[in-house]
Formats: sequence, structure tokens, C-alpha cells
Amino acid sequence: MLLQLNNISKWVHSGGQKVFLLKDINFWVHEGDFISIMGPSGSGKSTLLNIIGMLDGFDEGEYSFLEESVHRLKEKHRANLYKQYIGFVFQSYHLLDELTVKENLEMPLLYKKIGGSERKALVADMLDRFNIVGKKDLFPSQLSGGQQQLVGIARALIASPKLILADEPTGNLNSKQGEEIMEIFKQLNNEGVTIIQVTHSEKNTAYGSRIINLLDGSIV
Amino acid sequence: MIKNYIKIAWRNAMRQKQFTILNILGLSIGISTCFMIGLFLHSEMTYDTFHEKGDRIYRVNQPNIWGDWNELSSATGPNVATALREDAPEFEEVTRLLSTGAQIVRSGSDDEVNLYNEEAYFAAGENVFKVFSFEFLQGNPETALSEPMSMVMTKQTARRYFGDEDAMEKTVEVKDDDGTWKTYTVKGVLDNVPYKSHIQFDMIVSLKSYSEMMNAHGWKWIWTSFSTYGLVKEGTDIQAFTNKIQDIPPKWAPPTTKRIFNQTFEEFTAGHAWTLDLQPLRDIYMSDAPVFHSFGPTGNPMFMKIFGAIGILVLILSSINFMNLSTARSSKRAKEIGVRKVLGSKRKALIKQFVIESTLYVLVGTLFALILVQLSLNVFNAIAEVQLSLLPYLISPLFLVIVLLFVLALGLLSGSYPAFYLSMFRPIETLKGKVNSKFRGKGIRNGLVVFQFTISIALIICTLFVQKQLTYTSSLDLGLKKDNILQIHNIEQMGFDTETFKTELISNPAFSKVGKSFGIPPNIWSGDRYKALGGENDVVQLRNVRTEEDYLDVLGLEFVAGRNFESTRPNDKYKVVLNEEAVKTLGWGTKETYTTNSPIGKIVALASGSEDEFEVIGVVKNFNFNSVKQKIEPLVMIHHQNDKVWDYGAGLSFYSMRLNPEVIKNAAHLHTVIEGIKDEIALVDSSIPFEYSFMDQAFENTFETEQKMGLVLNIFTLMALIIACLGLFGLAAFTAEQRLKELSIRKVLGAKVSELALLFSSEFTKLISIAILLASPIAYFLVDEWLKDFAYRTPIDIWVFIGAAVSSILITLLTVGLQTVRVASVNPVKNLRAE
Repeated sequence: MLLQLNNISKWVHSGGQKVFLLKDINFWVHEGDFISIMGPSGSGKSTLLNIIGMLDGFDEGEYSFLEESVHRLKEKHRANLYKQYIGFVFQSYHLLDELTVKENLEMPLLYKKIGGSERKALVADMLDRFNIVGKKDLFPSQLSGGQQQLVGIARALIASPKLILADEPTGNLNSKQGEEIMEIFKQLNNEGVTIIQVTHSEKNTAYGSRIINLLDGSIV
Repeated sequence: MIKNYIKIAWRNAMRQKQFTILNILGLSIGISTCFMIGLFLHSEMTYDTFHEKGDRIYRVNQPNIWGDWNELSSATGPNVATALREDAPEFEEVTRLLSTGAQIVRSGSDDEVNLYNEEAYFAAGENVFKVFSFEFLQGNPETALSEPMSMVMTKQTARRYFGDEDAMEKTVEVKDDDGTWKTYTVKGVLDNVPYKSHIQFDMIVSLKSYSEMMNAHGWKWIWTSFSTYGLVKEGTDIQAFTNKIQDIPPKWAPPTTKRIFNQTFEEFTAGHAWTLDLQPLRDIYMSDAPVFHSFGPTGNPMFMKIFGAIGILVLILSSINFMNLSTARSSKRAKEIGVRKVLGSKRKALIKQFVIESTLYVLVGTLFALILVQLSLNVFNAIAEVQLSLLPYLISPLFLVIVLLFVLALGLLSGSYPAFYLSMFRPIETLKGKVNSKFRGKGIRNGLVVFQFTISIALIICTLFVQKQLTYTSSLDLGLKKDNILQIHNIEQMGFDTETFKTELISNPAFSKVGKSFGIPPNIWSGDRYKALGGENDVVQLRNVRTEEDYLDVLGLEFVAGRNFESTRPNDKYKVVLNEEAVKTLGWGTKETYTTNSPIGKIVALASGSEDEFEVIGVVKNFNFNSVKQKIEPLVMIHHQNDKVWDYGAGLSFYSMRLNPEVIKNAAHLHTVIEGIKDEIALVDSSIPFEYSFMDQAFENTFETEQKMGLVLNIFTLMALIIACLGLFGLAAFTAEQRLKELSIRKVLGAKVSELALLFSSEFTKLISIAILLASPIAYFLVDEWLKDFAYRTPIDIWVFIGAAVSSILITLLTVGLQTVRVASVNPVKNLRAE
């Protein structure tokens, strides 16, 4: 068991009323899963993904990640945990515009305090693996959307996470680029990486092994 | 990692050139101003530090026994030193310097005379160089002044008299009061006096040369033309020592007061304590009291305080500027912060990143500032009349360490707020671009802008009042007509009878009136002790000036009672004319009471040794014979031929001429007239130095310090204003970005461009209005304090405040105008589409 959510709820107060963003979510993930979270706008998909990624908190329930109770951890430990095990891929890529492809890839390694030569080797590996060696000195603005997302995935993978969280990874891409990205996810999954994606696209869910449908904050 | 930070910082700086330039510019202006002031303050505070035994040298001060006893004076009688040598073994050496006043000195033979009026000319005891470490190039410091008629001079002085020849053992002649020439032998040549010395001399003669005068007078404790310096032994407890020497004046001075004033010591001091005060050498230059000393420049502690405060303020302003501009850019950096956090950066690492970034900015700003300082140093030196230089500091490791610490400190200060503010962003929000919709940190940022403008506006108001006061004082009715009066100096050198010269002057059509006097406004300082005759009257201190009747006409004085001296009445020479203030001081009432109790015919008597009595024949309306910074003092005008006063026949004298504007058409003509007088004086005696002045200029010059301060204040106010405007510009850009969506929606709903512009500027106008409200009382307080130094003050008018307020609002609107137009005229669809 990679992670488990028990009775997770999250709410906000609006006009004196409790409005549930997530309500009583029970959810577990095994290593090697490829899960798609679906649902209409406002159903709580991104909130759920952020909670899993420990970027957001919750109001009720229990969350354990690799047998550790996340809800009991302090901010600092939580950060260490996701730094070590989780990689993020975003809809709008979120590469740093001021850094080249190579430097963007290097960034997570810097925060993990990995030495210079090892960093170089890892970056070279990643560039090689995604076939972007020729682009290593370009800035994000010089790449197409699909290429940027490729770099985004490479950046998420570089620190060898156990889990990749992808929030609509193909949302900004045309269908051909989207397919390419999903193929890569598929391949990664085959290599043993656990993936959770939020998506609108029925087509994308086909790549995954399990689908979670959300409606108004609850799993249906 | 640091390499990564620097890389990001550099690429960000390059991408947003406008912000980078604003940032560096603001920092450079602030830092260079601060450095310039720092150099100035350091220079001013390190006067007299070159003396080897400087930390053991003290000057002995005493009360001003000729006027206000509560005022400390650096002038003592010659016998303070002798008494200290006797009674104060804690002093290793006690030396005294006599200020002789300017002397005329010549060298060479008849066909090639080098003649100068030496102003930096003193006499000193033979041990003076055991106390002070002025550097000898030739001669023996121990013995150079041990003989009468010996002297030392500086290198450049020696060059003036002897050219390239060796000056040692050569002779110069000094003109004595009676017109004879006395010969002195050069016994030492010194290096030029360092500029940071409160004692500035070109020549020092041995005090023994004056032994006749020193022995003849019985005035040993009241001949206050000396300054006394002592070198204490090591380990002396100065406090205890100071207490001990308080016994000296009561012990030694009584014979003098008895002999000169026929008064006991107690009667003479009239209840005041004749104290002796020990002032450390290094404090002398920059001290509030005593105000004057005779041998060189004095610092201005108020100047120091104002400069210091401005330096710090300008630095704070530019630091705030940096904060505002950095946080204003925050939305541009928000994504980076979010990504970094998601990729595992802790908040601490982000704070570190931004502090490093701000330190880099400060470093670059400092480098530019150093260049700026070097480039503007000459101008500053000219304005402030100092000799600062930056280059010697640059090779001093201590200075470099200080600069480095300064950069780190300012970097930390300027980076702290942006770092905390930026690192606070929550990754989810920033990645979704939500940060734009919130006005986080707006209160603080607005507060900072208000603070900046409060300072700037307060400075503007102060500057305006300094100018106003200067204009006011130069247009004051002084009670005398100071314009068009030409004054010829050194008339005393012609001997006593100057009637022939006067006849020459009168015959010149360029002059409508000509008169001689032994003092000229605004520099009439001499005074004496007087009392009103009849009854038990207090001794009072009155200023006096010896003049001939025509001089009062030259000044254009107005008689409120009695008459002027008349040459047809020989007895007038023992009579006096008073000013109204003197009448009041003597207890004879004011102008209103003159009809019932006229001061005319009353008798005023000297109360310092002689008891000579003088009858009052006239009273003139009060006029300013000193700087208008001071109140009008009581004044006695004594006939120049009155031979009963002690200084009859001595002292500096002047001819003053009222120019006839009908005759003198232009500056060139005036120049010719002045050259004519010069030639005439040269005919009488070619050794008389020709000097002239104009009275209105002399009055102007009494405000030299204030004028200089005004100028410097103007410059710094401008700096502060520029920095504040840069900050405002940055904030306007930031707000424009923040409110783009709101303004776009308003525009879609039908708002006009002008309405939007008004809406947008009103926020800033509000901030500036708050700043005006805060700045006004601060400025009022400062101006009020400053004006207290002046006897005549310009009113603190409300319109100056209003003027400053209106102009600062105009500057504000001008600064944000660009942003306003940009925001108001943008196509709304562009901004709403992103949502």
C-alpha cells in the first residue's frame, strides 16, 4: 500500500454555512497503480490531488503515506516526504522561464542537495531518455507545448519519485501531443511508477488501470 | 545553489530592464549620498588626530569675562599658563599661543620686496612643539622659538618670501604698530599644516619677542588674547584634575583685578565662578562651546547633525524603494516561488534566495555609488568647502571591510521584507495565478510610500523656509543703508593723520560721503564696561566704536534725540552718541520717555580702570551693526579723537564711502575708481596692503553657512524626492498590474478613460495627502527650531505648506500619470480573457 485516505473531508465556510469541497473520501493506492480522477468542474478533483500531494490540508480524516500518518506530521516533515517521493506535473507545465531546459531539470536535485557530478549524470540520463538532448540549452519559451510538458515530466521524474501526480497534463495540448504524453505515462507506469492523473478526457482514462469519479466532493 | 540563485537573479534583472534600472538607480543615489555624507562626517570628526600626544592634550577654557559669564571662551590671559605651571604638576607641559592679528611682513631688499599681509600669524611659547606634532622639515623643534625675535614658517610661506632658497637663518621684517620694522630670524621650516587641524598657521614667532609688552601690562589675567594648551601626564584623572585647578583663578587673579579695576576678585566676578575647563584636543574642532577660537576653522555641529540625519534618511528611502519595487514585481515571481516550493524548496531557502538577490543589487548599487561619489566629489568639495577624497579610502582594508558589511547589512535590510513577503506565497494559489487577485502586503507597502513622502515633503518644506529666511534677512531694514558703501581697510597703517587722504577721497565725485571709523558693521565687536553716572548704578557691558561724525552720515543713521558730533565744536571729542538700546541698558528709558526724561546731557562713565566721564549728545535709532542673526546690542559711539579711551590711536581703522550711483555707471567704472584709491594709498606708503569690501556683501557673508547649508539641503531634498518618485513609480506600476482586471471590468461596464484615470490616481493622491499631514508638523517643528538661532525670523506662513502640498501632489500625478494612462486606455478584452 502506497497511500491510504480514510474519511477525508474538507470544507470552507461561506455565508455561515459549511460548504464541503470533499466529503468522506475513502481511497487507497497501491504501488504500480495508474489512477484517473474524473468529474465535472468543481467536483473536487484538484483539491483531492493537492491533498494527496500534501500541498493542501484537510479538516477531517486520516491520510497515511508509506505507513506514515501525514495528518500528524509537521509541515517540515511533510515537505521532506513529498520532496522525496512525489513528483508533480502541471497542466500549464510551470517551467521556470529564466532557466534553460537543463537547468530546469536540475532544480529538484539542487533542493535535494545532490552533488554536482551526480546531478550532471542524472540530467544527462533524463535528457537522453526523453530524447531532448538537443534542446537542453533552450529556454521554455523556445519550445512547443508538448515539448514543454515533456520537460515538465522529466523534471518530475528526475528525483526518482514513487508517485507522480498529474493535474490535467494534456489540458493545454493538442490531441497529437496529448497522445504522446499519455504514451509516456503508460510507459512509465509499465516501468513501475505509480501515477495519479486528474483528467476530463475519457480517452485519457483508457491509459489507466482504475477510475475514480467525483461529484460534488464525493466519490460516486 | 548560490550559482543558481545568482543566475536566476541575473536573468530576471535582464528580462525586466525597467525595474532593474529603477532599482539600481534608486540604490545608487541613496548609497552615494550616504557615502558622501559619511566621508564628510568622518573627515570632520577626525580633526587634530595627527598629533602624536593628541589624546593627552587639553585646551584650558574659561568664562567670557568680558560679557556673558555663562558663555565658555577659549581666550585666556597669559598668566593662566604660568599659574598652571606652578600649581598643576599634572601637566607635563603648558603652552600658550597669542593671537596677534594680521601682520605685515616683508623680505628682500628695496628693489625686490616680497610683502604680504600675514593673517595666519601667531606668537607661541618655546615649548609649543613639545605639545603639538607639527612636522619640522628644517630646524630644531626644541629650540626654534627659544630666543626673542625668532620665528618658524611653513614650507609654502618660506617659498613666498625666499623662493627656492633655503629659508633657514634668513630674516624677515614685521611692521610694528608704530610703523617701524622689526627683524625676525627664521629658525625652522615646517611642512604645510595638515588641513584637518584647528590650528592653522603660516608663521609662528617666539612669544619672547613680546616680552616687553607681556611685562609692561599689569593685565596678566585679563589680557585675553591667549589660548592655553596643556599636555597632561599619562594616567591623569581628568575629572579630579579639573576640580583641583578651579582654585587657581581665585588664588592668582586678585592682584590683576585690584590693579586694573580697583575691584576685589569677588566684585569683578560679581558672583560668577571663574572656572577653568579642560577640553580634549580632538573635541575642539567639532564642539558647540567655545564657539570661537583664534587659530583656524571651527566645525559646525548642527551641520553634522543635519547631514548625518539626511544621510540615514536617504539611505532608508532608497532601501524602502527597493522593497517596494521588489514586492511590486512579486506577481512576476509568484510562479517561480510556487514551482520552487513544489519542487521541494523550504521557506528558509527562498528567503535566503531573495536576500542574496537583494544583496547583489546592493552590491551593484554600491559599485555605481562609489563611481558616482568619485565623479561628484569635486563639486561637493567646492560647495561644502572641504577637501574630501575617496581614493585613499579605497586602498584601506578597514574601509573595504566596512563597505562589505554595509552591503550585507543593507542587502539584508532591503531584502528582508520582500523575502518574507514573497516566500509567504502558497504554491497552489501562485500556480493557479490567484496571487493577482489579492492585495497582500498592500498596507505595508502603502505605509512605506507614505513614510518616503513624509520625509521628502518635510525636506521640501524645510528647504523652502531656509530660502525664505535667507531672502527675508537680506531684505530686512537694518536701520542703516548698507547698499553702495565701499570700505577701505588697513587705514591704521597710514598713521594717525589721514586728513590728506580723506580730502582726496572727498574730492572724488564717485563718492557722495566719506567717513572714518575704527570698526565697520557687521563686525563691531569691541566693548567695555560702563555705568550711568549718578546714584547706585550697575556696571553694564556696552559695545563701542570710535568714529568721526561723517561716518554716521555715510551709514545714514537716524537721530531720535540730540545731534551728531560737530567738527566746529572742539569739546565734542569727549562726548558720545548712543543707540536706543544703550540708553535702555543704562536705565534711561525708551524713545517714548525721552520727552519727559531726555538722555541728552546725561553722563556715561567708563568702569574699567579709568573712570572717565562722557556726556551724551545724541541718540540714534537702533541699527544692526552685527549679523541679523543677533539682537541689536547697546552701542556707544565715541569720537575718534577722544584720547581718554585706552585704545586711543590704536586698532584697525577704515574709510567708508557712499558711492554716488549718478557717477558710477557700471562695474568697470567702479573697478577703475577702486584702482584709483589703491594707487593713492600706494603713494602714501607702498607697504600698506590694499583691501576693500562692500558693506552689503559683508552682511550677506554673515549668512555664508546658512547659504551653504541651504544649497546642500536643496541637493539632498532633490535626491530624496527622486528616490521617493522612483518608489512611487514602481508602486504605481504594481498597482496598475493588480487592478488591471478591476479596471477592465469597469471599462466594459462603461467607465470613461478620464474616470478611470481619476479613480486610479486618487489612491496615490490619498497617500500623498496623508504624507503631507504627517510632514507638516514635523517640518514646522524643525523650521521653528532652526529659526530660533535668528533674532529676526521669517514668519512660518501657511502658504509655504500649501505650496509644498500642491507641488508634491502635482509631482505625484506626474509620476503615476504614465501608469494611469496605460491602465485606463488598455483594451479590456485582453485582460479578461486570461481568467
